[in-house]
Amino acid sequence: MSLWLDKYRPTSLGKLDFHKEQAAQLKNLVQGGDFPHLLVYGPSGAGKKTRIMCLLRELYGPGVEKLRIEHQTIVAPSKKKIEINTIASNYHLEVNPSDAGNQDRVVIQELIKTVAQSQQIQSSTQRDFKVVLLTEVDRLTKDAQHALRRTMEKYMATCRIILCSTSTSKVIEPIRSRCLAVRVPLPSTEEVCSVLTSVCKKEGLLLPPELAKQICEKSGRNLRKALLMCEACRVQQYPFSADQDVPEPDWEVYLRDTANAIVSQQTPQRLLEVRGRIYELLIHCIPPDIIMKSLVKELLNNCDGQLKTEVANLAAYYEHRLQLGSKAIYHLEAFTAKFMAMYKKFMEDGLDAMMF
Amino acid sequence: MDEYDEMFEIEDNFDDQFADELEVLAQMEGESEAVLALMSAFILLFLCVFRSPPAAALEISGFAEIPETPSRPLTAASPSAPRVLRRPPMEGGYVSVTDSSGSRVYLRQKEDAETQSRLVPDSHGALGLLTVPIRVLKEQEAERQVVEESQHAENEENEDPDDTEGRKSRLWVDRFSPRHYTELLSDDFTNRCLLKWLKLWDTVVFGRERKSRPARPDRQAANQNAFKPNQENQKPNRFKSKIEMTEELLEAELDRYERPRFKVALLSGPPGLGKTTLAHVIAKHAGYNVVEINASDDRSAEVFQKRIDTATQMKSVLGANERPNCLIIDEIDGAPAAAINILLAVLNRKDGHGGEAGAEAVKKKKKESILLRPIICICNDLYVPALRPLRQQAFLLTFPQTQPSRLTQRLAEVGFLLADLPAAGDIIRSCDILIFFLLPAVQFLHGRGLKQLDARTVQSVSVGQKDQSKGLFHLWQEIFQLPRMKRKRIGVGFEEAPGSGSGAQRFQHVLHLASSSGEYEKVSQGLYDNYLSMRVRDPSLLGVCEALEWLTFSDRLNQVILHEQNFSLMKYLPFLSVTFHFLFAHTSVPRITYPHSQHEASSRLLSCRNALSTMLAEIPASVRARLGHLSLTLDILTLLLDIICPKLRPVNPQLFSSREKEQLHELIDTMLAYNLSYRQDRTPEGQYIYVLEPAGPKPSRNHQQRLENIVKQTTVETWVRRVFLHSGLWTAPRPSEKCAVLAMGTAVGNSDVWFRFNEGMSNAVRRNVYIRELL
Repeated sequence: MSLWLDKYRPTSLGKLDFHKEQAAQLKNLVQGGDFPHLLVYGPSGAGKKTRIMCLLRELYGPGVEKLRIEHQTIVAPSKKKIEINTIASNYHLEVNPSDAGNQDRVVIQELIKTVAQSQQIQSSTQRDFKVVLLTEVDRLTKDAQHALRRTMEKYMATCRIILCSTSTSKVIEPIRSRCLAVRVPLPSTEEVCSVLTSVCKKEGLLLPPELAKQICEKSGRNLRKALLMCEACRVQQYPFSADQDVPEPDWEVYLRDTANAIVSQQTPQRLLEVRGRIYELLIHCIPPDIIMKSLVKELLNNCDGQLKTEVANLAAYYEHRLQLGSKAIYHLEAFTAKFMAMYKKFMEDGLDAMMF
Repeated sequence: MDEYDEMFEIEDNFDDQFADELEVLAQMEGESEAVLALMSAFILLFLCVFRSPPAAALEISGFAEIPETPSRPLTAASPSAPRVLRRPPMEGGYVSVTDSSGSRVYLRQKEDAETQSRLVPDSHGALGLLTVPIRVLKEQEAERQVVEESQHAENEENEDPDDTEGRKSRLWVDRFSPRHYTELLSDDFTNRCLLKWLKLWDTVVFGRERKSRPARPDRQAANQNAFKPNQENQKPNRFKSKIEMTEELLEAELDRYERPRFKVALLSGPPGLGKTTLAHVIAKHAGYNVVEINASDDRSAEVFQKRIDTATQMKSVLGANERPNCLIIDEIDGAPAAAINILLAVLNRKDGHGGEAGAEAVKKKKKESILLRPIICICNDLYVPALRPLRQQAFLLTFPQTQPSRLTQRLAEVGFLLADLPAAGDIIRSCDILIFFLLPAVQFLHGRGLKQLDARTVQSVSVGQKDQSKGLFHLWQEIFQLPRMKRKRIGVGFEEAPGSGSGAQRFQHVLHLASSSGEYEKVSQGLYDNYLSMRVRDPSLLGVCEALEWLTFSDRLNQVILHEQNFSLMKYLPFLSVTFHFLFAHTSVPRITYPHSQHEASSRLLSCRNALSTMLAEIPASVRARLGHLSLTLDILTLLLDIICPKLRPVNPQLFSSREKEQLHELIDTMLAYNLSYRQDRTPEGQYIYVLEPAGPKPSRNHQQRLENIVKQTTVETWVRRVFLHSGLWTAPRPSEKCAVLAMGTAVGNSDVWFRFNEGMSNAVRRNVYIRELL
């Protein structure tokens, strides 16, 4: 528990640093006694998980923080064994079904159903339901989501499900309609800065507001990233200076270089180099949709207003196909090639226009 | 000229077979001169009178027409009446004749009897133009046929009787497969070599004395033979080097059991060239009884052993002719390695008996255990790993392609009328010179009532096209290479070779190739890996975009096929290859590399994932609960690496300020929380460095961590208590290196810490070296 991230994480709804009115609402929800299924969504680093843990603590008290890791083995109907790690307390169970890959439906069907079916024994002292927390729901296959539908209705008496995802668009409609959706937006720049400053104060450090702002910008208001960056800055150099350079995740740097390479030259050879770089990123477990997103973001920096819309359109098209297909590299390269062609044409047209 | 020994025997054989004809021929040659004048007069007359050529030729000699002439009913007019009439005669038959100048005359027809009487019939009523009357010849021929047939039936009991129905139902491949050495289509040299090798066994098997080498100085004798000269002229210079090589092998001395040096002959070559047929024919020819083991038999080690033993050590006693066995192991390249090892063991068995066997080598027949029968192995691929040991001990014979001319000839023999030679050449070419494909194709055409083959028919019938897939590289090459312009062949309506010419043909060709390969996944992978390095001018990148569009399409297609099991969509997959062909094909030879990238990427991804999950698995639950896979990879890990290399002064930890100590504390806590540790590694220079798993400069997570054994919890805790001693030195992270490498700090000044210095292998030189001595 030594990273600032973990050390200064709020553990109760009252201690949350931002979106305080939402915290109050959640508190009311718990006290109201009619606790629904929840779908908590928001960009990464906004504090979804923290909020959920606070909520659980509000529900069950500090006992919920006694966590244990359980290795579960589930046998699929095809006799294939699926191993999955769950984190559980006495009151809740946290699963990431997408760990099971394509077999996540089995996890939903077997694991969650058994948990949901079992009754709480001491319902007098505790709440009469337990909570199943499913993370990364947007990576769940459609099959698994459909398997979830009936479970959610049938075992409402004994079990609540909290879904945690970055976006609702990949959660099917029937599930969305069964849940109370809670959106956790990113904290504003000021909120990030104030969190950083307060953490630094607790550490006995002095953070210049300029640096806080810079960190906030670099992290894209992702609080997790911001805290890590801040700590990295601290390691780099303690008496902070305002114009200190903030370490960034190296895959982002790498991707930026890739984008620059694409913009600087448009030939098949360059495409080949770009392919190598994209492979490298994929190998290091960077999900293809994130690569696509960051790549587009970097490319857009180099584009003119009119081109921007076209590129965005293009990116949307290829990202969709990326989701449909299985070989990410084809789609990423297709996007890159298309961008190259478009960019080249745009530049040539621009040159022609200048000549005449 | 030793190599022709066998040829002579063959000819002997040949002589036996055709004894009757030869006899007749010889007689004719001797005596025909007497009648020659008379006959030639007739012939001349016939030639000028009848424009139609003489009847079908007999295949024996150039004088073939002669014996037949008298049997013709039509003959010259009688000398009494005017032979040639200006106008048609009033009564009787006549024949009208127009000569070259255009004037027409009429010949009177007369009764046969009259003609014959004119020509002084002999006692049998024949004309006596032949020394042997035609009747006798006919009888002899019939007799010969009967004998031959009976022999035939005897020799090949298992064969069907040649009744007409049987004939029709049989495939031509069987019907016209060679039965005698002379009918073999394969290369003469190969045939002879194999035969010769087999003859080397004669000493052992039949107890015959081997002919001494220079026993045949009679090259002249050979040359006299009518059948010899062409072979004599061609072979030696054409196969000079090969002959010399193989000759050497064959001339090698027999071993002490009088067996040839190579106990096994290994025939190899592409399918359809007649390897199996050759082996069978030659074994039979050399007087062996053929025992065949092929891929259809069980070839597990034990069974194989048993069969080899049976075949090589036993002899049939029930059959009419007791002949020694010759084992033919067909399709040996598919046999398991264990079976081949057994075969090798059989070959080398003599070694075990080497000692006592030496003296009684003469009575080798008594020895049951050593191999005394020839074994012929047949394979398609000589370089199968399992065959490697066998290759060294075998007499290797590779099959060259059969010459088209021989095939054409054979086709003619088969009885198929070929309209023109190019047609034959064409069908042969389209069948790729594989007899297996050729004969069925011809039979098919025959079955459709076609008696005449011409180019058009051959082209219009797409029979005999191999559906055999060629290698992936071949396919990629075809896709990326424009066909070279082929010389146009003569003939109207001729299409060019597949793959050349117009777009439509290329389209069909590539489509055919791609769909017959079947491995769409591999193919598209290869296309993807190679297309960017093709030399195609594509400045606007439109072609590349198009190609990628197709790739993404095929990826989607694949996804749908696999997920929904909708295999009807499979037929759209090969079109990818066609697109690539039209986009990227170039006349120069493409350099194609095997597509590794995808596999490599996936395996590396897997190892990364594994590292990550091992790391995650050991992280304590309290931290773990807030840690997703994604957030770990995207945010935490990369920055964590920055965080865990604080700048520490390279001094004794005891000298650290309280602040630094605190920092160190935190570092260790963090590492524990995230299940990181340092692993001690030894560099080639003998220095110990501490590596935080793969230290790559590349993107994020090369430093996937989870490391063995050094800064383990226990050691850390002991350090917290006092000093952490490892080989006497505290390892401080060096600020210069970004993280990964923590070299040994310099250190400890005048503390009581010492090195134990072990030099060499023994403990003899062992002394304590104080740090201050080093400083």
